[in-house]
Amino acid sequence: MSVRQSRSASIPIPRTSSSTSPTRNIESVISIPFAPPPPRPRLASAQVIPIAHHHSDDPRASVRGARFGASSVSPTRPSAHSPRTTDPACLSTSSSSSPTLPRARRPSATGPRTPSSNRAVSGLFPPAPAPRTSFTRPAYLEHSALRHLLQTESLPTIAPSRKQGQQRSLSPATDSDDEGSPPPRRATPVPDSSSQMLKLPTRMSESCRHELLSISPDGRDVTYQETLRLFRTAYPIPPACGIYYYEVDILSKGNKGHISIGFAGKDVRLSRLPGWEQNSWGYHGDDGCSFAAEKNGTPFGPTFGTGDTIGCGIDFSTHQAFFTKNGNLIGSVFKDIGKSIDLYPSIGLRHSGEAVRVNFGQEAFRFDIEYHVHQQRLQAWSNIQTTPISSSLVSEDMRPKAKAVEVTEERTKSAINKLVLAYLAHHGYARTARTFQKQLGRPSTDNLLGLDGDMELRTQIVNSVAAGDIDTALAETKKHYPEVLQANEGLMLFKLRCRKFIELLLDATELHKKLKAEEEQIATDDEDEMLMDPPVPTKSHLGTTSKAQAEALNKAIIYGQALLHDYKADKRPEVQTLFNRSVGIVAWHDPIEHGGVAAEVAGPEARVDLANELNQAILRSQGRPAHPTLETIYRHTAVCIQQLGVSGVGAAAFADMQKEFIDA
Amino acid sequence: MASSSRIRIRSEEWDRRLHEVQVTKHDLNRLIMDYLVIEGYKSAAEEFCVEANLSPPVDFDSIESRMDIRDALQRGDVEGAITAVNDLNPEILDTNPALYFHLQQQKLIEHIRHGRIAEALQFAQEELAPRGEESPEFLSELERTMALLAFDSSPSVPSGIAELLSPAQRMKTAGEVNAAILESLSQGKEVKLVQLLKLMSWGETMLEERAEFPRVEK
Repeated sequence: MSVRQSRSASIPIPRTSSSTSPTRNIESVISIPFAPPPPRPRLASAQVIPIAHHHSDDPRASVRGARFGASSVSPTRPSAHSPRTTDPACLSTSSSSSPTLPRARRPSATGPRTPSSNRAVSGLFPPAPAPRTSFTRPAYLEHSALRHLLQTESLPTIAPSRKQGQQRSLSPATDSDDEGSPPPRRATPVPDSSSQMLKLPTRMSESCRHELLSISPDGRDVTYQETLRLFRTAYPIPPACGIYYYEVDILSKGNKGHISIGFAGKDVRLSRLPGWEQNSWGYHGDDGCSFAAEKNGTPFGPTFGTGDTIGCGIDFSTHQAFFTKNGNLIGSVFKDIGKSIDLYPSIGLRHSGEAVRVNFGQEAFRFDIEYHVHQQRLQAWSNIQTTPISSSLVSEDMRPKAKAVEVTEERTKSAINKLVLAYLAHHGYARTARTFQKQLGRPSTDNLLGLDGDMELRTQIVNSVAAGDIDTALAETKKHYPEVLQANEGLMLFKLRCRKFIELLLDATELHKKLKAEEEQIATDDEDEMLMDPPVPTKSHLGTTSKAQAEALNKAIIYGQALLHDYKADKRPEVQTLFNRSVGIVAWHDPIEHGGVAAEVAGPEARVDLANELNQAILRSQGRPAHPTLETIYRHTAVCIQQLGVSGVGAAAFADMQKEFIDA
Repeated sequence: MASSSRIRIRSEEWDRRLHEVQVTKHDLNRLIMDYLVIEGYKSAAEEFCVEANLSPPVDFDSIESRMDIRDALQRGDVEGAITAVNDLNPEILDTNPALYFHLQQQKLIEHIRHGRIAEALQFAQEELAPRGEESPEFLSELERTMALLAFDSSPSVPSGIAELLSPAQRMKTAGEVNAAILESLSQGKEVKLVQLLKLMSWGETMLEERAEFPRVEK
C-alpha cells in the first residue's frame, strides 16, 4: 500500500446530518436509516436490549446529545427506505485504491483516562478547518518494541527515534567509543526501515464500504442508507503493535441494536455481520454474544446500545481478542485470531437507525488501554523468559552442529563468564579482565583471549592513538604487529600517517593560539604597567613562542610533503580522498573550532575512530573477531526480534530490548 | 503478514541490519556491570567502574556481604549465614517464611551430613515440625529431608532424596538467599545477560519457523 497524501474533501459522499454535526471531525458516526430487521433467532435472545429508544435514560445519552446536537441522531429516524433487504451487505473491496479522505487532525489520546467531559467539550468546537489525515500514534502503542515502525496512515515516514526527546547516540557496528561514558557520536544514518514501515488502521475505508453507506471526510463517520453493511478500515492491523485497540461509540442502536464490533479478514463477504462469516469475529450488541464464524453466538458479555462505548482489542501475543464496555474490561475471547490472516477492524450494522462513531486513537480512550498493554507486556516478557537457553549457546564445543548438551546452570554461567571475559579483553579492560579471571578461579590459560600481555600491548597502542601519540602507536605496531600496517597495501599505515600530519598541524594551531594570547596579554600590560603581579610573558618570551610556532608549522608542512611524495602514486580513491581531506585542514586557523568537515577530520572523535579501527585491525590480524561476541549477540537478537515483529509474531512487540536491557 | 513459506534473508542484508541496531559500548558495559554486581564479582566490578568510567550502581560493600553469605551457605555454615542475613536486614527473613524454612531445612541437612543424628532429630522436632504444619509444601520437604536419616548412607538412596546432600542443594539455597537480598535492595535479581541469551534462544527458535537467516559466528 502506498503512502497517500491527504486529499481534498471533494469525494462525493452523501452527507448525513450526523456528518454535518460539529463533532464530525472528532468521531466517526455510522448511522443507518431504518430498515425493519428480519426476525433472527439467537441463542441468547433472552437477553433483552435494555434501551428501547436511542434517547433513553442512560446518562451518557444526554452527553451524546450535547455532543452531537439534535441533528446528529436524526438519521436514526425511520426512513422511507425500503425495508425489504434483510441480508446484510458488507463492504470490502480492495483497499489498495481507497482514497484517503482528509480528516481533522487531533492530537492523539493524551491519556487513557481523560474525563469524558473533555470529550463533550471538544465536541462543541467548530469543525476543524482543514482536516488532515494523520494523528500522533496513540500512547499505548509505545509499549511495542517495534513502535518506530508503526505509523498512522498517510504520515510521511518518520525517522525512528528511540524515545521522544532522547537523542540517542548510535553506535555503528564498529566497537567504537573511547573509555567511559557514552561519547557523543556523529549520528549514523537512521535505520532505513522505510520498507518495513507498518501502517496503522485509522479510518474506515472509502472503498471498503457498500455504495449505500457513506463515510464522512475524516473516514470515521459512516452513514447507513438502506440495509445492513459491514465496513472496515483500509489498512489491516500490523501484529507488530503487540496489542491493537479501538473504541466505538454507539450513537444510536436503532430498534434492535444489531451492531457487531470486531475484526474481519480482507476478503470476508461484506454482506454479513462480523462473526457470521469465516474469518470474521464480532461482539454483538443485541444479545451480548461473541461470534467467531458461527450462526449462533456464545454468551460473552452484556448487551450494548445507545450511549455505550465498546472497546475492541486484539492481543497478537496470545492471538485473542478482548472487549471493553464503557471503560471496563469484559474479557478475552476467540482463539487463534489473526494467526494466518491480516485483520481489519470491522463493524457491521444491520438496521436503520443504527449509528456508531469510531475512535482509532484520535482522541482519548475510555478504557485505560495503556495500563492494560503494560500488564500484557510484562506477561509476554515473562513468558519469553521461560525459554531455556539454547544448548548451542552454552556448549563448549563451538562448532555449529555441536552435540546438544544439557543446559545446566553451571554451563550457562561458564558460557556467560566466557562472553564477559572476551568482551573485557576485546576492549582492553585489562585490570578488570585479570581480576575477573582471578575471581573465577580460572587458570590463566586464556591465551585465546589474549590475556597474556597481548591485550595490554594492544590496549597501549590503541590508547596512544586515542591520545594523539601517533609515533608511539606506529612504532609499537610495527614492532609487534607488522602485518597490520602492511595489510591492504599499507592502508592502515597511511591512515596513521595522515593522522600524524593532522596532529602536527594541531600542534602548530595550539602554538598559534598561545602566541595570540601572549600578544594580547603584553598589549594589555603595556597599557597598564601597574598590573605586573603575575609573571607575564615578556617580549623575548613572545619571540620564543613565535619561533616555536613557525617551526611546528614547518614541521607539519615537511611531513605533508613527504606524505604527498610517498602516496601520490597511490591512486586508490580512498587514499586520495583521505589525503585531500587531511591536507585541507591547513586552510583553517583552528579546524576544530571551525566545526564542520574540518572538525570532523581533525577532532578528537576522529582519533577515537582511528584507534578503534586499529584495534579491530590488530584483532583481525590475530584471527579474532572484530566485534566482541557479546555485541554480536545483542545485535543479532535485536534483528531477530524485529524480523519476527514484521513477520507477524505479536509477542516480539513485547520483547523490548531497549526497555529491558538499556533503559532499565 | 503471516505467511506460511519461509523467507530467506541473505547475509549481506542481515549484516546491514546488524549494523543498524542501536547499541553503544556504554550500553554493553552496563550489561557487563549488571552481571558482575549480581553475581557478586566485587573486585572485578570495582576495577570495571574505574576502567570503563562507570558510576558504581550499588554500594560495593553490599556485594561483599552478599557474597560472604553465599560462601557461608556453600560451606555448610547455615547458622552463620542466617546471622549475617539478619545483620544485613532482619526484614528479609521475617517477611519471607519460605526462605526461612529452606534455610532451616538446609541446616537440618548439614546436621545429617555430619552424622549429628541427635541434633538433627532435636532440631527437626523443635524447629521444623511446627513449621511443617503451616503448609503442605513445608511438610513434604521436611519428610523428604527426614528420609535421609532412614537411608543413612546406604547406596540405594533414591536420587530424589540423595540430591539433598549434593552441592547443588547448597547452591540452590544460596541462590534463593541471594535473590531475596537483591530484592530487598530493590535491585534486579535476574541477570540481564541471562535474559538476553534467553531472548536470543526464543527469537531464533521463533524465526526459524519463518525464515532462513545467518547465525552468530562464535
